[in-house]
Amino acid sequence: MAEFLEDPSVLTKDKLKNELAANNVPLPSGEHKKEVYVQLYLKNLTVLNNKKSPPADTFSSDEELPAPVVSNKSRSGRKATKKTDKPRTEEVEVTDLTDEDLKQQLAKHGVESGPIVASTRKLYEKKLQKLLDQPPAEPEAPTDVTALPKADSNQNGNTNSDQYSDKEDEEIAAPEPEPVPVVEKPVRSRGKAPVTVRTSSRRQTKVVEEIVVEETPKKASESVVEDILANEISTPTGISATCRRPIRGAAGRPLKPSEYWLDESRVQHSIHTESRSYSESFSRPGSAVSSSKATARRGFLSVLLKLLLLVVVGGSLYYAYQNLDADQINTLKGLLDSVIVPLQGAVDSAATYLGISSSSATESTGK
Amino acid sequence: MFVIKHRSADSWFMVFVVFSDGFILLSRMSTTSQKHRDFVGEPMGDKSVTALSGIGESLGKKLEEQGFDKAYVVLGQFLLLRKDTEMFTEWLKDASGANSRQAGSCAQCLREWCDAFL
Repeated sequence: MAEFLEDPSVLTKDKLKNELAANNVPLPSGEHKKEVYVQLYLKNLTVLNNKKSPPADTFSSDEELPAPVVSNKSRSGRKATKKTDKPRTEEVEVTDLTDEDLKQQLAKHGVESGPIVASTRKLYEKKLQKLLDQPPAEPEAPTDVTALPKADSNQNGNTNSDQYSDKEDEEIAAPEPEPVPVVEKPVRSRGKAPVTVRTSSRRQTKVVEEIVVEETPKKASESVVEDILANEISTPTGISATCRRPIRGAAGRPLKPSEYWLDESRVQHSIHTESRSYSESFSRPGSAVSSSKATARRGFLSVLLKLLLLVVVGGSLYYAYQNLDADQINTLKGLLDSVIVPLQGAVDSAATYLGISSSSATESTGK
Repeated sequence: MFVIKHRSADSWFMVFVVFSDGFILLSRMSTTSQKHRDFVGEPMGDKSVTALSGIGESLGKKLEEQGFDKAYVVLGQFLLLRKDTEMFTEWLKDASGANSRQAGSCAQCLREWCDAFL
């Protein structure tokens, strides 16, 4: 209960006397100075406020009461925290290192650092911190701002840690979380871009012959494609060619496509040109978006799509044979021509949309 | 049909596609963005920090707050770090909150600029 005044001198002498009497404090006989009663009050009643052990009845009015209590507190608390209690050597405390020392420490770990100035210091501190955290195999807490002494790197000697039996550093058992950010390597930006470029250029060539590209997600190239493409760029001049297929219809060669040009799939088409373009008309509605996706890249997906195309072609042939009606076939052929031309236009518009220029013979007639 | 790829300029590929019926398609592909090419193509002079590849409005603002208001100041930081793209990337991520891609792009941009003009 904190109902006693801290400063009883605000009360009148009579009030003080009453208070003291009410709390069974023996009053000195006779009339004394107010100060006497104030002291009494303080000693007996105010002290009770603090719930300290009741002071002895024998007291001296001149005594200073709160002081001993206060001084006790300071002495009874934790042990003296000397500066050297928690030894922090310069070695481990990266933030305490001088610029020179920091540079030397980094050099010791094989890091060639630039000048340690205001803007670079923090970076190099982090780097050194990381390097220091890596080697120690013992389950010590990673050196952070509150650093721990390490025997091997303790330039000032281990004596500090040995002197004090009550090591405070032992309290920190669990490793503190490292605030060091992980540097992500921007490999992706460099490594993938060239690869994707190559595959996309291949894509464009495919678009003309087949409508494939619409749903090519951005994934890593398949190893097959990568191998092929890797070969192409490895030449010193950068000029490379894919496997050259015999030009159909040239030099007396038959028109029949014996082998498809796609190296990753090697899809064999046994159908002749007409039915192939016939199939394009079927697959075209389903791939209207192909023109806008010319920057696509997928080899694996193209294989799937080609197989699908094969199935569609086979199905369409079967359907055609079922009909076997000359009239229908003729009308379909007419329809075909009306389809192919806009298709070519779509491809070219896609090319111009992407900013790639087409050279001469931009408009080839029919495929 | 076959494809010929020719690496013409730094980041450009010339692609020739020869079709079976004689159709030749010529295309140009680049591995870098237009912003990158614009920056690397000439001395940076007094260009703002937002001219750097990978640095947009918001990142530029954060850099300007820290005193990096011009591209050459960021170049200064890059040079202080001995043109180490990894260190620079880390610094940029720390200083502006850029992500890996943006920081990497900026580092690459600066490095190529240095290769060309320094």
